[in-house]
Amino acid sequence: MLLMLSVLYVKQAAAQKENHKDYADTKIAECNACHKSEGIAPNHDGDWTRSHRTLASRPGNNCSQCHDQHYCLDCHKGGGINADLSIYTFGRDYAPRSHRSDFINLHPIKALDNPQTCYRCHDQKQCSQCHDRFPKGNMRIKSHLGGQNYLWTSEHASEARRNLQSCQTCHPDGDVCMKCHASTAKGGSGINPHPRSFKGNNIKDRSDRACIKCHYLR
Amino acid sequence: MGLNRVGTALTAMMLLAAGTAWGAEISGKSSTQFLWYNNEFTERRIFEAAEYLRVNITRIDQTGKLSFHGYGRGAQPMGPDHDGTARLYYFYADYRDLYDKLDLKFGRQFVNNSAGSAIIDGLQIDLKSVGPIAFSAFGGRDVIFGRDGELGYAWNTNLGISAYLTGLKKTDAEISWLRKWDKSEAARDIIGLSAKQYLLNSLRLYGNARFDMVSETFNEVQGGGKYFPTSDLVFTAEYYQSYPTFDTTSIYSVFTVDRYREGVFRTDYSLGDKVSINLGYNRQWYGEGAVANVYHAGVGVRPVKPLKINLEVDNRQGYYGSTNGVMVDFDYELNKNAQVAGGITYDVYQRDVMTNDNIARRYWLGGKYRFARNMALSGRIQNDVNARFTENVSGRLTFDYDF
Repeated sequence: MLLMLSVLYVKQAAAQKENHKDYADTKIAECNACHKSEGIAPNHDGDWTRSHRTLASRPGNNCSQCHDQHYCLDCHKGGGINADLSIYTFGRDYAPRSHRSDFINLHPIKALDNPQTCYRCHDQKQCSQCHDRFPKGNMRIKSHLGGQNYLWTSEHASEARRNLQSCQTCHPDGDVCMKCHASTAKGGSGINPHPRSFKGNNIKDRSDRACIKCHYLR
Repeated sequence: MGLNRVGTALTAMMLLAAGTAWGAEISGKSSTQFLWYNNEFTERRIFEAAEYLRVNITRIDQTGKLSFHGYGRGAQPMGPDHDGTARLYYFYADYRDLYDKLDLKFGRQFVNNSAGSAIIDGLQIDLKSVGPIAFSAFGGRDVIFGRDGELGYAWNTNLGISAYLTGLKKTDAEISWLRKWDKSEAARDIIGLSAKQYLLNSLRLYGNARFDMVSETFNEVQGGGKYFPTSDLVFTAEYYQSYPTFDTTSIYSVFTVDRYREGVFRTDYSLGDKVSINLGYNRQWYGEGAVANVYHAGVGVRPVKPLKINLEVDNRQGYYGSTNGVMVDFDYELNKNAQVAGGITYDVYQRDVMTNDNIARRYWLGGKYRFARNMALSGRIQNDVNARFTENVSGRLTFDYDF
């Protein structure tokens, strides 16, 4: 065991990752050439915006050897101290390139593309802050536009399951949902909203705020 | 955080800089900005002055282990009935190599691990050089920025712990845990996993996952590979799936949701700094048979040294709507001190609930002049023409000073 540990320590000493501090001003093409010779993938490439999450989220990453925290936060939190000319502002906040042209009208489609993407920068409360301005029921989604051919029971369920986060932006407390989904004891229609493998106790053990909206808890 | 509190923090940064000036190195940047735009929330025309300040103070102690870092902004719209706003992005003390094993960061800072990320007012501790595994922990008040201030309850907090492999050149692995409290109740409990392995000098395999301990499901899973036969050419194939997640304190945590899945194929090629090309295809599954396809192509060329032109084309077809767009921009260096840039974005989109296509256009033009090595003046103006505006002109004028 001792022998194995010492071998591991020697290997560790010999296999330290390169410190990049001295290379902060190097051109990317030169970085890529060195990376390739060491068998390490170029990572500041055209796919960087989409793929850097995997590298940057790891504690002990080497991003801070070249970048201060402002580099991350300018994009993720709307800062503009280092914005180049191609970066545009939405109000006083600087927006990333993905928030193109009329993003107010485009973002419903983009928010559906991997909903987690929005949460890399925005908290759900920020969505509600904007959507609170509009009259409830004003969003251009099928369940709100209705019409004679709209089957509420099936179409609403599919629409909500695919994009529940958008419901939360206007109905953060889910009051409108309670009319149908709360228990009959609580004045609802008792339509079960839970998934098949619902772990209700896991939620109740942490917070009963959601449970008591629909149920009386003994 | 109110204007007064952030103003105090910014002033403290400057005073701290002055107070430690006897031996310390102080560096940073000041960006004074004048912005004009239509406030789409209040439907008023706004002229606003903003100041960004970033300060790094290093070599405070003899060993150079202690440093301070801060970054914030204050903004004041002009005219009556306008309140100023402020945002403190980070302000923390950083002490490295305590007993050669501990790194400490105390204050407002950005933290992350594979289970999640946050800005916290708190403490991060990194334990290193104790073997092949290093550890990291952070905890503090959760900071959420809203439009004009901070959101959330003062006692919302985050706690994260990680253990990760260190010292292996071509292998990374990490396991972490993140808990978030909404007031005093545990709102999120997530285990994060990530791993990366380089093979054959040309292949990188990677994966990461987030396991939600409340719903006992993997709410994010990603796995992929990058094949890079040369330093200029990268092929990417990736699979990703997710369930939307909600705090336990939210009623939406009890609802059924569909799984989202996507497959990505992408190629990136560059020929020095003269040509770069990227092509991508993204297949998306929304559950219950709903699918979409997204195509992307981009090219950047530098026909002559001072001129760079970028062109991107995107097309999305399928569930919920279609988008077709092109983005063109150029950047031209007039000389080593002056630069002009401009571009056009043209998007045509239609959502399932609409009957017609809508068109959105953006035109922009900007310029920058460097007076000295550490001073520059830049400006940008843009016009948005879309379904909501026949004309929406906004812009900024910026004076940057590096110190």
